[in-house]
Amino acid sequence: MRDPSETLSGSTWDVEQLLGDALRPIEPPERLSARFEDTMAAITQAAAEELSDWAEELSESELSALRDPRNWVRPVVAVGAGGAATGALVLLELRRRSRQKSRSGLRSLAGGLRARL
Amino acid sequence: MSDPAQNVEPAELAPAAKAELDRAFEQFYRSHLRDVYSYAYYRVGNHHDAEDLTEQAFLQAYRHFDRARRESDGRPLRPWVIRIAHNLASNYYRDRSRRPQTPLENADPIAARHDTEAIAAGREELRQVMAHLDHLPDDRREALIMRFALGMDNREIARALGRSDGATKVLIHRAIKQLQEEMEDERPE
Repeated sequence: MRDPSETLSGSTWDVEQLLGDALRPIEPPERLSARFEDTMAAITQAAAEELSDWAEELSESELSALRDPRNWVRPVVAVGAGGAATGALVLLELRRRSRQKSRSGLRSLAGGLRARL
Repeated sequence: MSDPAQNVEPAELAPAAKAELDRAFEQFYRSHLRDVYSYAYYRVGNHHDAEDLTEQAFLQAYRHFDRARRESDGRPLRPWVIRIAHNLASNYYRDRSRRPQTPLENADPIAARHDTEAIAAGREELRQVMAHLDHLPDDRREALIMRFALGMDNREIARALGRSDGATKVLIHRAIKQLQEEMEDERPE
């Protein structure tokens, strides 16, 4: 390695050497990975809660309305913001209601949503 | 017109595909975290904003990761994620109307040397090169950060900056030449 005092005393700057010394990789703080995981989890959780609230709010008439693909914008948008797990929440909620009400129409609705999502 | 299937976001994948994608992204994150953080740090000049920028870059990368993998055709994804960080950093300056702080606290040269005078001389050199680097045109400074802090080759830098290989080679050559000339002008007699 070049002696820096030689450079200052008269020889030409070795700029590439200096840049290599100055621009060294910076180790990210350990907390950054934890923070990133928390952010990802928070986004997924927020989307899950949004979908869960929405599913709980659904009245029978709204469930019927969901057979119309034009009404699928909200779940699709919410799932887009979250994760596949949140999409599964919609299906689980619909399936739960389907079991409770024993309405075969909901099963096909869930299938339609699954295919759509 | 693009195929709608090409625009599937992670959330819209089947669970098995989503799990595979998440594993791949985790590996990608671990492999490139230091590069993205280093780039962010040298762009913004402080750890606080570098953390924000890095986090935002990876969140955006995650959103488009599946598509990027498919379209990369086996090429490394490092230029792609650095390009994301590059664009975010540009927005950061546009929003805050400020220039980066020169990150000198990490410019601790030649740690193995114990001679005080040599260390002092080395630090002065690094201080000068960082000061001159800070005043280069943005594209030249960014190309040098990619080359020297991240060890990217011309092709990777070209992809990250959205330029041709030839134009990138010229850009880096001129950046080094400009630094050389400006430091020569300031060299003690």
